[in-house]
Amino acid sequence: MGHTSLDKIIALQNKPANIRNLCILAHVDHGKTTLADCLVASNGIISSRLAGKLRYLDSREDEQIRGITMKSSAISLHYSVGGEDYLINLIDSPGHVDFSSEVSTAVRLCDGAIVIVDAVEGVCPQTQAVLRQAWLENIRPVLVINKIDRLIGELKLTSQEAYTHLQKILEQVNAVTGSLFTSKVLEERAEKDSEVREAGGGDNGEQVYDWSAGLEESDDSDLYFSPDQGNVVFASAIDGWGFSIHQFAHMYSQKMGIRSEVLLKTLWGDFYLNAKAKKIMKGAQSKGKKPLFVQLVLDNIWSLYDAVVLKRDKEKVEKVMSSLGVKVAARDSRHSDPRVLLSAICSQWLPVSQAVLTMVCNRLPSPLDMAAERVEKLMCVGARRFDCLPEKTQELKRAFLECKSDTSAPVVVFVSKMFAVDSKALPQNKQRPLTQEEMAQRRELARQRHAEKLAASQAADAPAQPLSQGPDVLPDHGEAMTLKANKVDEEEGKEHFIAFARVYSGVVRKGQKVFVLGPKYDPAEGLKKLPEGCSTADDLCTVPHMACCSLGSLYLLMGRELEELEEVPAGNVLGIGGMEDWILKSATISTSPACPPFTPLNFEATPIVRVAIEPKHPSEMPKLVRGMKLLNQADPCAEVLIQETGEHVLVTAGEVHLQRCLDDLRERFAKIEISASKPIIPFRETIVRPPKVDMVNEELGKQQKVAVIRQVKEEQSKYPETVQVDSTGLVTLTTANRMATIGVRAIPLPEEVTQLLEANSDLIRTMELFNLSMKEGKTLEINQKTLESIQDLKRKLESYMQGRKWRSAVNRIWSFGPRRYGPNILVNNLEGYRRPSVWQCLEKERSRAETYREFDNSIVSGFQLATLSGPMCEEPLMGVCFSLEKWDMKLPRQPGDGVYGQTSDQEAQGGSESESVVPTGSSEGKRRNNSSLVDCYGPFSGQLIAAMKEACRYAFQAKPQRLMAAMYTCEIMATAEVLGRVYGVLSKREGRVLQEEMKEGTEVFIIKAVLPVAESFGFADEIRKRTSGLASPQLIFSHWEVISSDPFWVPTTEEEYLHFGEKADSINQALKYMNGVRRRKGLYVEEKIVEHAEKQRTLGKNK
Amino acid sequence: MSIFTPTNQIRLTNVAVVRMKKGGKRFEIACYKNKVMSWRSGAEKDLDEVLQTNTVFINVSKGQVAKKEDLSKAFGTEDLTEICKQILAKGELQVSDKERQTQLEQMFRDIATIVAEKCVNPETKRPYTVSLIERAMKDIHYSVKANKSTKQQALEVIRQLKETMQIQRAHMRLRFILPAKEGKRLKEKLKPLLKVVESEDFDEQLEMVCLIDPGCFREIDELIRCETKGKGTLEVLSLKDVEEGDEKLE
Repeated sequence: MGHTSLDKIIALQNKPANIRNLCILAHVDHGKTTLADCLVASNGIISSRLAGKLRYLDSREDEQIRGITMKSSAISLHYSVGGEDYLINLIDSPGHVDFSSEVSTAVRLCDGAIVIVDAVEGVCPQTQAVLRQAWLENIRPVLVINKIDRLIGELKLTSQEAYTHLQKILEQVNAVTGSLFTSKVLEERAEKDSEVREAGGGDNGEQVYDWSAGLEESDDSDLYFSPDQGNVVFASAIDGWGFSIHQFAHMYSQKMGIRSEVLLKTLWGDFYLNAKAKKIMKGAQSKGKKPLFVQLVLDNIWSLYDAVVLKRDKEKVEKVMSSLGVKVAARDSRHSDPRVLLSAICSQWLPVSQAVLTMVCNRLPSPLDMAAERVEKLMCVGARRFDCLPEKTQELKRAFLECKSDTSAPVVVFVSKMFAVDSKALPQNKQRPLTQEEMAQRRELARQRHAEKLAASQAADAPAQPLSQGPDVLPDHGEAMTLKANKVDEEEGKEHFIAFARVYSGVVRKGQKVFVLGPKYDPAEGLKKLPEGCSTADDLCTVPHMACCSLGSLYLLMGRELEELEEVPAGNVLGIGGMEDWILKSATISTSPACPPFTPLNFEATPIVRVAIEPKHPSEMPKLVRGMKLLNQADPCAEVLIQETGEHVLVTAGEVHLQRCLDDLRERFAKIEISASKPIIPFRETIVRPPKVDMVNEELGKQQKVAVIRQVKEEQSKYPETVQVDSTGLVTLTTANRMATIGVRAIPLPEEVTQLLEANSDLIRTMELFNLSMKEGKTLEINQKTLESIQDLKRKLESYMQGRKWRSAVNRIWSFGPRRYGPNILVNNLEGYRRPSVWQCLEKERSRAETYREFDNSIVSGFQLATLSGPMCEEPLMGVCFSLEKWDMKLPRQPGDGVYGQTSDQEAQGGSESESVVPTGSSEGKRRNNSSLVDCYGPFSGQLIAAMKEACRYAFQAKPQRLMAAMYTCEIMATAEVLGRVYGVLSKREGRVLQEEMKEGTEVFIIKAVLPVAESFGFADEIRKRTSGLASPQLIFSHWEVISSDPFWVPTTEEEYLHFGEKADSINQALKYMNGVRRRKGLYVEEKIVEHAEKQRTLGKNK
Repeated sequence: MSIFTPTNQIRLTNVAVVRMKKGGKRFEIACYKNKVMSWRSGAEKDLDEVLQTNTVFINVSKGQVAKKEDLSKAFGTEDLTEICKQILAKGELQVSDKERQTQLEQMFRDIATIVAEKCVNPETKRPYTVSLIERAMKDIHYSVKANKSTKQQALEVIRQLKETMQIQRAHMRLRFILPAKEGKRLKEKLKPLLKVVESEDFDEQLEMVCLIDPGCFREIDELIRCETKGKGTLEVLSLKDVEEGDEKLE
């Protein structure tokens, strides 16, 4: 078949009845791209000899190297059967699980799908996934059982065995479809049940229990794949052959004189040919006869393979060839590789493209036959019912179903993804061979120019009229040329985004003005706001989630190539250029504001693999950010974000996807060197109540403590002289200039309180704002609702904080921290200091007795600093209450004169009193004369901040400290056979299973577990590998959890010594995390440089 | 004195000598390499892992043991272990390459952490990560000085990094309230020190909220205090002005 011209395709685009939009779906390595190659070869785009080897649609370099498809790509093919011309828009999709988002984008644009199953491997995890996707999008699948040659060549099955094998595969596929159907029916039933229950909740007496699940009533026969239905093709794409039963039925009905309808029904199934009676009988299996399919179909193929590949019997091959009526070029028949001959014979005898495309044209629906159900599903987002949509929108449904290409019909286009192409690949910038006319034109031009030149030189003295034209035209031309060249230079290397889209209704024209509808756009709102009968020409873009723009160039997607088009009628797949500013990943485009946005694509895989990305050279940061933005747009599944820590995080669906994203960033989008690393893992520090039992579950305090060999000499040296710690954990600390003394105690907060504070950080922030403004004498209005919720928060806090220890603690809260709204509390337990409470926004009037003491702010700042970074590894604190129990200042001062008020008083008294206390401070103060406060330790407020911070840290250290780890909850869907391995991976990574239950109607288990974030790097990948892709986890951050082991633990009791030995060599998880963080931050890690002194390498001389 | 023959000598390998001068005499002890620093920092708690032998020498390499009377005269005790501990704690030693390397590495990281904490990317108002700063420091070939504090060095690094990449110290947000009569005069003086003035309110008194470079804080503090004679107030609203929360790139 020759190359189909563009004009023909354009002509075909206008006949929606003859358009088939379909995609090829399968598990990885089942031969999607190979089959696509065969189909492409049938249109003469590539040589049929190269089909299956070239992988034409894998246009990326890494796709070719790795041998897997990584993106979906479309190509338009022409096929004619039964006197009708068909246009087939074929979309090849990737099979690897990492790229299942690409599959979603492809499936959305299609009406039908070719599902391929490997004849050897059978139904694989991705096969199930794609069948499910096709089911969810309501598109009709057809089946191709591929790689039948492997049954002959590799497994060496006989034709009889192969038949049973194929039968089994077909059963497997149908079982998957069946389970999808059952779960849907059950779901519908459950819905109905709940409705019924709601309706008739009153009369319980007469309830009829209906045991049938409703399965019997619903008909599902047309869903299943069966060769006699004509929706199954047996093929070997690599050898270029394939057939459906129809072909053979047709063939044998002529040969044997049996009616083809009869053959059609009996060719697949338990039938055999009774040669004597010349009848086709049932029950081949029980009678030990060869089924008809084996006898008539498989045996022929088997004998052909036997003759050509295995025995290489020249004569027999000749015979077969003549009986099949096939002529093979001499070059092929002499070729040393028998496969060449085989594919030459097969591709003439049973060309796979013909079998598949005929099936596609006959069995798959055209855009005209789109099911009303599917339209409704597309048009209503989420749980909304179709009937709820505005009337105008409901009218659009008709336009959908009719798929009219009139100019009057509203344009509806769905963009499922954006993909980047090099500007060089765009048809405008491409050098194309000149057509005949163009060449003639140019020749003519050149001739003219030459003639003009001649004329000019001849008639130099006479400035004639026609001559002036020549020089005029020429420079113009030149200018245009240089301009164009400049433009090309600029654009070179710039990425262009093309929207991968389909027209559902109307005709799309280049430069047309349209509305771009975001996923949250509400047609009801849009219709209300826009005046009646307004068109896209008016720039009225006040409606949220709606933008107005004009379409760029339109392209016909031809695999690697793009062809420019002027207009595209309904029912076609196309590429739209120049939309990158309007569309992020997917969108709905329409000329009618009544059009609702389509339901968002449902992705099978959500991004889970997180890495932090950095440029090699720090100065290239802006380039990286730009590149990541482009990547985000170009990839439907990748997510990029900047974290609070300043990390640029890329989230991808899997390791392979990650690799592709990194390659893309390096070579296309950012064009810089980058490095990816494990993201930084956050921790929190907290304290707990002293444990009652030791590490071997013995009660503490009952047995003897072993005489500790290494006396804890640090116990004393840990604290500098200015700090005193008493046995109850009260820390008293004096500032450097000995003017103020602070006493602080740390108390663990109950868990509920921590959670409450964590959840209400916004409220606390509002309160703080209010208090700040109150302090300045201004008032801030807070609305009633917020006040109520603050009241609620306070009540809850009071109910959680009960007992003697917390008496009136809620009312005495001084501040929250860190950043004034964190999950830590500073409580004022000073006698004789009544400061305005943090709850003052709840009080109607302020009592006059409450005033702020001086340096109140410094205490709060010190507390904020202490809670921002704890002593264990400088991570924020969580769930700690600091109670300030002592605060003495020796500075005599007058109240209420502002922070700097004390300067003058101190000057007056400085000589007598404070000289004895701070000799350096006051002497310096005298020398400088302007301010006595400037002592050698800096301003006093600063000192107080530092003292408060230190006091909090020591108070924290005086209690049993623990680390808190961020936890993910993860939901894992797994089948029963891989359950054990899932548990294995979970326990290896310190995960904990919360619950496990079976999903109704399937054999899938849903496991809910928690897992520390610190252990999650590579988790998704490991679990996939260990379960061969049958289980896929879903990770979501859930909460903080205290790690129960003490990072500073050493064995102290006799039992612990027995159990752990002197050094406690078993790994201490908390210590490991803590040291990891400390090492990363460059803090001091208590670690020996050399573990064993004697085991060092000796660099001895002459010994 | 016993005869010094090859057969009765004990050879020590992997020796690190710790010396101390006390009471006019020099004492030495023989330790294992790479262990003395760990002992001093408290990471190593087993004395036998540090000392080769608990004999105190006059000269380790010659094997001359210190005399008992010298020891008791200098240290006031004859307990060799006690004396060894004293020498270990206060004596001078040569730091081995490994010890020095880990120390420098640690300081390098520490400096990078401080820089990352103090600075932001001026374009995005977000901090840089520590590893990025480390790489940048290697790019400018910054060498750590062991005898300068890490904070001091961090400030130096920030200055140098500014030349090669977009980096800036995170601004401090301040609010000051100045009495009206000094307000106008003081404002002119403060102007050059402020980076951004976020709000300015001048009725009875001048109230300003502004962002400053943290390096100028002391200067501003001093200025306000001196000029207003304690009438003006200064309040730190936030130490670091950075973007909070995660942001999705779109």
